[in-house]
Amino acid sequence: MRLGMVIDLDKCIGCRTCTVTCKSHNAQPPGIWWNRVFTPGSDFHQAASGQEGHLQMSFLPVSCQMCDNAPCEKVCPVGATYTDERGVVLVDYERCIGCRYCIAACPYNVRQFNWEDPKKAKERVGYEKGYEYGYPVEIRDPDGRLIYTPNRPVGVAEKCTFCFQYTSKGELPACVSSCPSKARIFGDLDDQESEVSTLLRDRSSFRLKEELGTQPKVYYLPPNKQ
Amino acid sequence: MEKTKLKLSRRQFIKATTAAGVLLAGAGSAGWVRKSMAAGTGTAAPPNLKVVRTTCSPNCTGACGMHAMVEDDQLKAIIQAADYPEPEYNPRGCLKGLSMMNLIYGPDRLQTPYLQKGKPGRDELQKASWNEALDFTAKRLQEIADKYGPESIGVAFQVGGTGYIQKGAVSRLATLAGWNLHHAYDQNGDLPMFWPMTFGVQSEELEPLEWLNSRYVAVFGSNILATRLPDAHFLVEARNRGAKIVVFDPNFSPTAAKADEWVPIKGSSDAAVALGIAKVLLDENRYDAAFIRTFTDLPLLVRTDTGKRLKADEVEGLSRPADVPAYREAFVAYNGRLLSVHPEKLDLAPDVILEGAIEVKLKTGQSVKAKTAFQLLKESLNQYTPDYVQKESGIKPETLLRIARDMAATKPLHVIYGASNYQWYHGDLKGRALALLPVLTGNLGTSGAGISTYAGQYRIRFKLADWWVPEGKTQNWLPFLYVLKGPTPSMKAKWPRNGIKALIIGWGNPLDQHNMANKLREMITSGELEFVATMDFQMTTTCRWSHAVLPAVSWYEKTDLVATPVHPYLQLQQPALKPLYEGKPELWIMRELAKRLNPAWESYFYPGLEPDAAAEKIIEHLLKVGGPPVAGITLEQLKQGPVRLKSEVPGNRQIPFYDQIRNKKPFPPVSLPAKIEQTAQFVKSGRIEFYKDEAIFLQLGEALPVHKPPFEESEYALNPKAREAYPFTFVTRNAIYRVHSTHSNNVWMNELQDGKPHVWLNPQDAAGKSIHQGDEVEVYNDRGRMTAFAIIDPGVGRNVAVFEEGWWARYLQGASYNSLTYPFIKPTHEAYFVPGMWAPNTAWNECLCAVRKAGGIA
Repeated sequence: MRLGMVIDLDKCIGCRTCTVTCKSHNAQPPGIWWNRVFTPGSDFHQAASGQEGHLQMSFLPVSCQMCDNAPCEKVCPVGATYTDERGVVLVDYERCIGCRYCIAACPYNVRQFNWEDPKKAKERVGYEKGYEYGYPVEIRDPDGRLIYTPNRPVGVAEKCTFCFQYTSKGELPACVSSCPSKARIFGDLDDQESEVSTLLRDRSSFRLKEELGTQPKVYYLPPNKQ
Repeated sequence: MEKTKLKLSRRQFIKATTAAGVLLAGAGSAGWVRKSMAAGTGTAAPPNLKVVRTTCSPNCTGACGMHAMVEDDQLKAIIQAADYPEPEYNPRGCLKGLSMMNLIYGPDRLQTPYLQKGKPGRDELQKASWNEALDFTAKRLQEIADKYGPESIGVAFQVGGTGYIQKGAVSRLATLAGWNLHHAYDQNGDLPMFWPMTFGVQSEELEPLEWLNSRYVAVFGSNILATRLPDAHFLVEARNRGAKIVVFDPNFSPTAAKADEWVPIKGSSDAAVALGIAKVLLDENRYDAAFIRTFTDLPLLVRTDTGKRLKADEVEGLSRPADVPAYREAFVAYNGRLLSVHPEKLDLAPDVILEGAIEVKLKTGQSVKAKTAFQLLKESLNQYTPDYVQKESGIKPETLLRIARDMAATKPLHVIYGASNYQWYHGDLKGRALALLPVLTGNLGTSGAGISTYAGQYRIRFKLADWWVPEGKTQNWLPFLYVLKGPTPSMKAKWPRNGIKALIIGWGNPLDQHNMANKLREMITSGELEFVATMDFQMTTTCRWSHAVLPAVSWYEKTDLVATPVHPYLQLQQPALKPLYEGKPELWIMRELAKRLNPAWESYFYPGLEPDAAAEKIIEHLLKVGGPPVAGITLEQLKQGPVRLKSEVPGNRQIPFYDQIRNKKPFPPVSLPAKIEQTAQFVKSGRIEFYKDEAIFLQLGEALPVHKPPFEESEYALNPKAREAYPFTFVTRNAIYRVHSTHSNNVWMNELQDGKPHVWLNPQDAAGKSIHQGDEVEVYNDRGRMTAFAIIDPGVGRNVAVFEEGWWARYLQGASYNSLTYPFIKPTHEAYFVPGMWAPNTAWNECLCAVRKAGGIA
C-alpha cells in the first residue's frame, strides 16, 4: 500500500479551508501551519500576477509531499523521521532531537519547528484557561512511536501525517473531507482501481520539483484554464 | 494497514479509532479504503466524546451544517456535517466556520455583563452582575420611553434567517414595548432595489445546485470564489460541464480567473453594458416576443403626455374589471382595438402589438397619444450604441456584440448580480437593466435560468408571526439610514417624533460596520443617543461604545432554527456546549428584560422553561402553523439533519417564479412576512415591470432602466470639489477571512493575512504615489480616514482603493473604515415603504477618496 493524494488545481478555489481544518484537527499551535495554499507568482494570496491583458491567478496547496525518496528521512541522524508500511512519512516526537536537518533538507518547506512550548504559544493568544483544541488524544504507531500528541514537546519538528488519527481507520484526512470544492482525492496508489490511480491514468498530472528525484506521493492536476 | 499491528494502549486505541469514526462518520464520504479492505474497529465510544450536528450561522448566507466534536464540554474541532441529501452540496463549510473555537474560547469572549458608568468609547466598562445590568437597562429604557415615546428606542438585530427563534424573541419584546425595528436587509445594503421595482418581490435566487443546469452564466460584479465559499465549486463544475462563464468586473478577481472570459468594465457601468446588450437583442430580433407579451409590462400602453401608464378606467369604452383588487390596476394593450388588461390574467392575444403608437380617446373626451412600453424601451435604447457603451464602460464594440449574440443563443441564461455591485447609488438602475437580459430572452422560471442576487440571510421562509409579533400588536419599522441621516421630506416610513434616542443592538457591530461618517460615535458622544445596550458573545467595538453590554452566546451554545435564501434547507442549531462563562441566549435576555419592563410581559416568553426547552417548544409550534413550506416537517426530523423546504417546483427545487411562468400566475409571488397587497402594489400590472410610472421615477428620468454614471447625484452633488479632490473610488469588498466583522479577531484568520488590514491598488496608481507593496497607506476624504497596508495587484482597476471590509477599529488605529462612507438615500427607494422590501438601501461603494503613502505628503 502506498497512500497518496491528488489535488485538482482546476477545482481548487484557493479558500484555505484545508489549511484551517488541518490546523485545528491536528492541534497546530499559533504560527505553525502544516498545510498552506499559495497563489503562485504573487506575494500575496489571491492577488493577480502578470501584465494587463495577460493576468493570471491560480492556487497551489502545499503540505508534506510524502516523498517515496524523502530527503528529510535521509538526513535525520536519529531515525526519528521514517516511512511507515503505508508509505506515510512520519516523525517520532520522542526520538526527534531538534537538529532541524530535516527542515533544511525538505525542498518543499513544509516542516515546522516547535521553538517553544505550544501551551505557552496558546496562552499568548489568550484562549480560555485550560482550553485545548484539536484531536484530543496521543497516537502511537504499531511500534510504539509517538506520532501525534495534542501538545508537541518543545524542540521537535512536525508536519502533515496524512491525518494518521483518521486514515489509520480508513477515514479521510481532514483536508480532504473538508474541502468545499472536493479538490482533494486520497487513496492507495498501489490499488489500480482506487480513485487516485484512476485519475492519474486519465488526467495529466505533475508533482512538485520532480527533477529532484524525491518522488512525491502528492500529485497535482493542472488548472484547465491557465 | 492492519489494525492488529497498532501498539496502542487499549484506552488510546479506542479513543483513536472511535473518535475518528464518530467525527467523520457523518461525512457521507466513503473513506479511501475500498469496502473489501475495511478492517473491523472498536465501536465503544469514550465516555465524554460526542458529536453534535448543528448549523454555522454568521451573516454569510452559507448556513452550513457542521459536526462539533466535543470532549468534556470543550469544542475540540469542527468538520462539515456533509449530510445534505444531494451529494453536490457536501461538504458545506469554510475556513471561518471551521475555526469558530478561536472566537468561542478567544480573549475577546465576553464573560460577564458590563456597564458604562462614564463616557462610552472613552472610559472603561465596569463588570456587573446580570441583575445589575438588566435592572439598569430596563430602567434606562423605561425612562427614555416615558420621556420620548417608546418609538424613540431603535432595535438593530440583524437578519432573521440566521436564527428565527432568538431573533424572534427580540422582535417580540420590541413589538410589545412599541420600539422601532431597523431591518437589517436595507441597513446592510443587501436589498437589491431592482427586485421590488421590477418583479415586486423582496429578492429571489436560484439555489446553487441549479447553476449546474445553466449554459451561460453572466456574473456582474460578484466574487463568488471569495463570498460564497461553499457554493463556488458549482460555478467551476458548471463551466466544466460546458456552461460559458463570463465575469464582468473592474477587477481580475479569483472568480474572473476561473471564468471562460473576464470582461473588465469601469466601476458601476453595468447598466450601460446591459442596455447595450439589450439594444442588440431588440435590433437583431433576438428576443422572445411571446414571453415578453405574456409576462412583462412591455405591451402595455403609456401616455406620452404624462408618462403614466394608460389605465383601462380612463379609456373610452373600457373599464376596470370589477374583480381587480384595490392594490392592482387594469391597464391597456392594443391589437387593433384597445383591450383592458386584467392584472391577474397574464395571457394576451398573440396579435397584441409590442411596437407602435396610437391615439386613444379618453372618457374625458380628450384624445391622447400612447406608446407601448416596448416602443419606449426601444427608443430609449437608441443611445446605447456600441460606441456609447464603450465610452461609458470600456467594453469593446465587437466584444459587446459577440456577448449579446452568445447570450441570446444560449439557454438557460443565468445572470448573477453581485452585492458589491448593487451597493451603489444607482444599484437599482443597474439591476433593472440587467433584468432585461434574462427576461427579453425568456430565461425565467425554469431550471438554470433567471437573475439572482446572493447577499443577506434576510429570508423569512415561512410564517413566523406567531412568535415574532404578539397577537393583536403592530410593529414600528424605521430604515436605519434615517437614523444616520435624519428624516427626509419624501420618506414614507414614520419618523419618531423625538428621533431615535436609544439603541438595542444584537448580532451586529454597527460601530465598525455602520457608523457612516462616524455618525453613531458622534451621536453617542454628544448624548443624542442617550443609551445603547448591546448583546454579543464577544467584546466588539460596538460593545465598547455601549452603556450596557449583555453577554450572549455563540451558535454552538444555544437552540435555534436557521434558513437561508441560498439553499432551501431548514436546519437546527443544537447546543454542542453549555453556555460559557455567564453567557445567556438572547431569548433569556429578552425574557428577563420583559419582566422588568412590565411583569405581565414575562408570560410571552415561556417563563419557567430553560431557554433551550423554550426554543424547542417555539420551533414545534411554528412548524405546525408555518404554512405550506414547512408542512409535515417535525422537530425530530430536524434533529437528525437538514430538511428541504417544500415548494411548488418539482423536487422542491428553488427556482424563482416557477409558478408564475409555468402557470401564468400574476407577479409577484408572496415575499414573507409581507402580505400580497403590500408587495403587489409595487407591480400593479401583475407583470414584470420595466416601466415605472410613479412620480419620482418620471421626475428623475428613470421610468425605464437607464445608465447613470456614479457620483454625479451623490458625491459631486454633496461636494462639487470631490471631483478633483477625491479621484479614487473606495470599494469595500469581502475577503475570505471574515464574515463582515465576525472573525476580524480570529487569530488563525489573521495569521493567514499577515495580521493586518490591506488596501489593494493598481500598480500604475501605486507607482504614481511611490507606494510599494507592504507600505502603510492612508485612505481619506472629507468625512474620515483610515490606514492599511498596500498590496499592489495588477488585477485591480485604475483609480480604485479596494479595502477588505470587516476590520474592527482596533486594527485600524481606532478608526472605522466606514467613517469614509455616507448615508445617501436615493429618492426612488422612498416611493413605497415595506420594511426590508422597499426601503432605502445603503450604497457602501458610492464613496470617493484619495490615497497617499502614510506619513508622506499628498
